[in-house]
Amino acid sequence: MASVKLDNIQKRFGDVQVLHGIDLDIKDGEFVVLIGESGCGKSTLLRLLSGLEEITEGDLHIDGQRVNHQSPAQRGIAMVFQSYALYPHMSVYKNMAFGLKIAGQDKQAVKLKVEEAAKKLKIDHLLERLPRELSGGQRQRVAIGRAIVRDPKVFLFDEPLSNLDASLRVKTRVELGKLHQELNATIVYVTHDQVEAMTLGDKIVVMNQGRIEQAGTPLSLYHHPKTEFVAGFIGSPKMNFISAQVTSIESDSVQLMLESGPTIRAAIDGQTLKLADKVKLGVRPEHFVLATDEENQFQGRVSLVENLGELAYVYVNTGQNAESDIVIKLDGDCQYQAGDSIRFAVAAADTYLFDKAGMALPRLNKA
Amino acid sequence: MMISAFKNFNLGRSVPKSVAIHGVLMAYTVIALFPILVVIINAFKERRAIFRDPLAMPTMDSFTLVGFEQVLLRSDFGLYSWNSLVVTLLAVGLVLLLGAMAAWALTEYKFRTNLLITFLFAMGIMIPIRLGTVSILRLMVDLNLVNTLTALVLVYIAQGLPLAVYILSEFIRTIPKELKEAARCDAVSEYKIFFCIILPLLKPAMATVAVFTMIPIWNDLWFPLILAPGEETRTITLGVQQFVGQYVTDWNSVLSALTMAIVPVLVLYTIFSRQLIRGLTSGAVK
Amino acid sequence: MTLPKSKSTPESAVEKKPIPWHIVFFLGPALLIYLTFSVYPLLDTLILSLYDEQKGQSSFVGLQNFITLISDDNWSSAFWNALANNFQFFIIHMLVQNPIGLLLAVLLSSPKLRFSGSYRTFIFMPTMLSVVIIGFVWQLLLSPIWGISENFLYHLGLDHYFDAWLGKESSALITLSFISVWQFVGIPMMLIYATLLNIPDDIVDASVVDGANPMQTFWYIKLPLILPTIAMVSILTFVANFNAFELIYAVKGALAGPNFSTDLMGTFFYRTFFGFQLQEGSATMGAAVATLMFLIILVGIMLFLFFVQRRIQRFQF
Ligand SMILES: Nc1ncnc2c1ncn2[C@@H]1O[C@H](COP(=O)(O)OP(=O)(O)OP(=O)(O)O)[C@@H](O)[C@H]1O
Ligand SMILES: [Mg+2]
Repeated sequence: MASVKLDNIQKRFGDVQVLHGIDLDIKDGEFVVLIGESGCGKSTLLRLLSGLEEITEGDLHIDGQRVNHQSPAQRGIAMVFQSYALYPHMSVYKNMAFGLKIAGQDKQAVKLKVEEAAKKLKIDHLLERLPRELSGGQRQRVAIGRAIVRDPKVFLFDEPLSNLDASLRVKTRVELGKLHQELNATIVYVTHDQVEAMTLGDKIVVMNQGRIEQAGTPLSLYHHPKTEFVAGFIGSPKMNFISAQVTSIESDSVQLMLESGPTIRAAIDGQTLKLADKVKLGVRPEHFVLATDEENQFQGRVSLVENLGELAYVYVNTGQNAESDIVIKLDGDCQYQAGDSIRFAVAAADTYLFDKAGMALPRLNKA
Repeated sequence: MMISAFKNFNLGRSVPKSVAIHGVLMAYTVIALFPILVVIINAFKERRAIFRDPLAMPTMDSFTLVGFEQVLLRSDFGLYSWNSLVVTLLAVGLVLLLGAMAAWALTEYKFRTNLLITFLFAMGIMIPIRLGTVSILRLMVDLNLVNTLTALVLVYIAQGLPLAVYILSEFIRTIPKELKEAARCDAVSEYKIFFCIILPLLKPAMATVAVFTMIPIWNDLWFPLILAPGEETRTITLGVQQFVGQYVTDWNSVLSALTMAIVPVLVLYTIFSRQLIRGLTSGAVK
Repeated sequence: MTLPKSKSTPESAVEKKPIPWHIVFFLGPALLIYLTFSVYPLLDTLILSLYDEQKGQSSFVGLQNFITLISDDNWSSAFWNALANNFQFFIIHMLVQNPIGLLLAVLLSSPKLRFSGSYRTFIFMPTMLSVVIIGFVWQLLLSPIWGISENFLYHLGLDHYFDAWLGKESSALITLSFISVWQFVGIPMMLIYATLLNIPDDIVDASVVDGANPMQTFWYIKLPLILPTIAMVSILTFVANFNAFELIYAVKGALAGPNFSTDLMGTFFYRTFFGFQLQEGSATMGAAVATLMFLIILVGIMLFLFFVQRRIQRFQF
């Protein structure tokens, strides 16, 4: 296994700059998830790591060695493609053995490795089949198997689960997690799905328009997003953003006046703020509670209820000029219906605050 | 600094490799075009210039149209072209219409002889219709159609149908069932379903079929030679063949006749090459 | 089963179902023309080959016409000559046209190739023109009177190799084969090119990640995936070659000179049917030749279907 170091990696296609200087350290055995909106350059970054695409500028080190000009095989990476990219004319066995055969390993050794990997992935009974005779999930395993047999230093995955149906996706996700523990491999994994990111990643890298917006553990990203973009990206349903104005700044909190009326106290370090600054208050749907007599009260009218049984998402219109509904996550047995009026609140410690530029202000009381 | 001397494996291709590729392709392009260009260039030159320096462009001195004048004087190129146009357009139009109707019937309706008929048409893709020439000629004699354009049109329809039925059937199968089922629920007649709903959807596939059908018809020598060799019904291909055969030694005329046969096709080809190549590469014919 | 339109006619009352007029309407015209002008003539030709016609009298002679063709002194040498020439013609196409087509297709499909559209258009151009025209064009170019080719070779320092190739018994057929190859190389190129384009980039990338160099990627991944197309191109070439006529007729006339050295099945068929010089044309002998051509093509297609097509599956990506 190996560590990977990206130093100011840039990529241009002609005049179009797709990646603007990516710096990233990946530790030996770490599971790194790249996440970001479509077109932000995740696949491109993966292809640079793999050696399928040339790095325009910057340095890539694997295990301390600069590999910018090495071929994929020399780099010791293996890649699992979104489309699986199995060779359609080769049996499962040949698909998995291809890389080893090219590397000139002897037949007996190849056979052992392929069979071992196949057993690990529970596809040993499929070895003689052609890819088109396999189900989506089985193809997916073969693609992973093809990567495993080569015993690479780094695994690269490009949205490997996105072609599977929902239940299979969950199952495979769990198996991938186990596989990672078992192989203790260094993995770079691209996904759109933030549940995958949160559950699989030792480290999540949020990308935005060819830059790293923030990198960190799943929980640090959840609790301490550095920007509004990251805050909106991590967590589902999305964090609510509410326009507000600073009315007073204290040592342990900031007082805000929302456009829709209520006054809110947020446990935020407001040293850099000034009175009357326009800011955005962020509250995650799961942090709202039905109002008791606490502070930070909101009220409004329910416009829609999505009840998932175990829990319910309640969309609330909080006044004349609120830009959009606030989403609250409540128990599934709550009795609200569209049209009801509702009062709810958020604890000061559960709030997030972002300045005009979209940068987060430090949260207090949160480790 | 990034363009290192390192032998690039599969990335942005190295310069020498790219030069080699362009070199080969360009060389072959020259091989493909050179003979045609030489003929066209020399058609516009005086006899002496043709022999003195065949590769030179026509100059003020050597330029002449005498060859073209001779061709137009000695043969009825206008009529030949017209004949070819009529035969080709009629045959292609009918192949498209009848082919689409047949393809629809064979893919949409189940009946006892369906498989047999489908197989018959499929055979026709591979077995050249020319092999039946002996009987076709007899048939045309019996029908009193020798030396008529009708004979050519009929044979060319029969020649074009198999491929048309095949390509259009494949295409019809990709049309969602819901379209016609919705129409049937509204009690729309089968005729209307085909002509108002299906036929307009077939346009892209029909373009492909049209190209594949048109070229062999326009360029055919065999059937015009056998079924319609008369002066009145001569097609352009046959006309050029006969003309060149007759005036081999008159270089100006021969070069001009060839040029007159080549240029219109090349102009049309250049205009439609995009569509044509898309049709060829679309996978409609596998 | 779709419900036939209920235009039921009274006399069909015995049958359970009325005649499905819409099927007749859709299928009828195409089927009628196809049966009359393609299927019937072909079958009629096959039958006619078993008859002999003398002075308007037609009599059944069984396989006599075929026996005459392959063994009679007047016929057999011409027949075997045409057949052998035709195989030579075909083999030259297979060995030259298809490899060149493959090479051009591979080059054309190189990633990020500039001007690939123009190359494609130009290289395909000769294929669009009539074989007759192409035949004449090359006849002029190779003519010793005009001397273009000789001049050309002179500049390459090869002029002493020049000869009136089309006029020599030893070289005429080969020369004509090359002219045909030159004209039709665009077809294998285009079909193979289309298949290459259809190979998903991911599969090629996967092989690169697996450590294959470009040659290995071609050999182990791309070539197996274009084999079905190459097989199809081969059978198309086979059928077209055994059906060829125009090029020979245009350049060398029906006599396929010099001394029949460029005679193919197509020209042999034409002469047999229409006659030449002293020999009278014979419809029944013509039909026999056509029947043999039919059998040759049929055997070719069968071999293709049973041995090639069945083993090489098409790949869906
Ligand atoms: N070969 C290329 N040439 C030019 N531009 C490219 C090329 N490949 C990618 N791009 C551009 O680079 C940007 C990033 O593409 P990339 O495929 O990395 O996005 P992504 O984050 O993987 O998106 P998705 O989540 O949709 O897969 C896109 O704007 C894309 O248009
Ligand atoms: Mg992507």
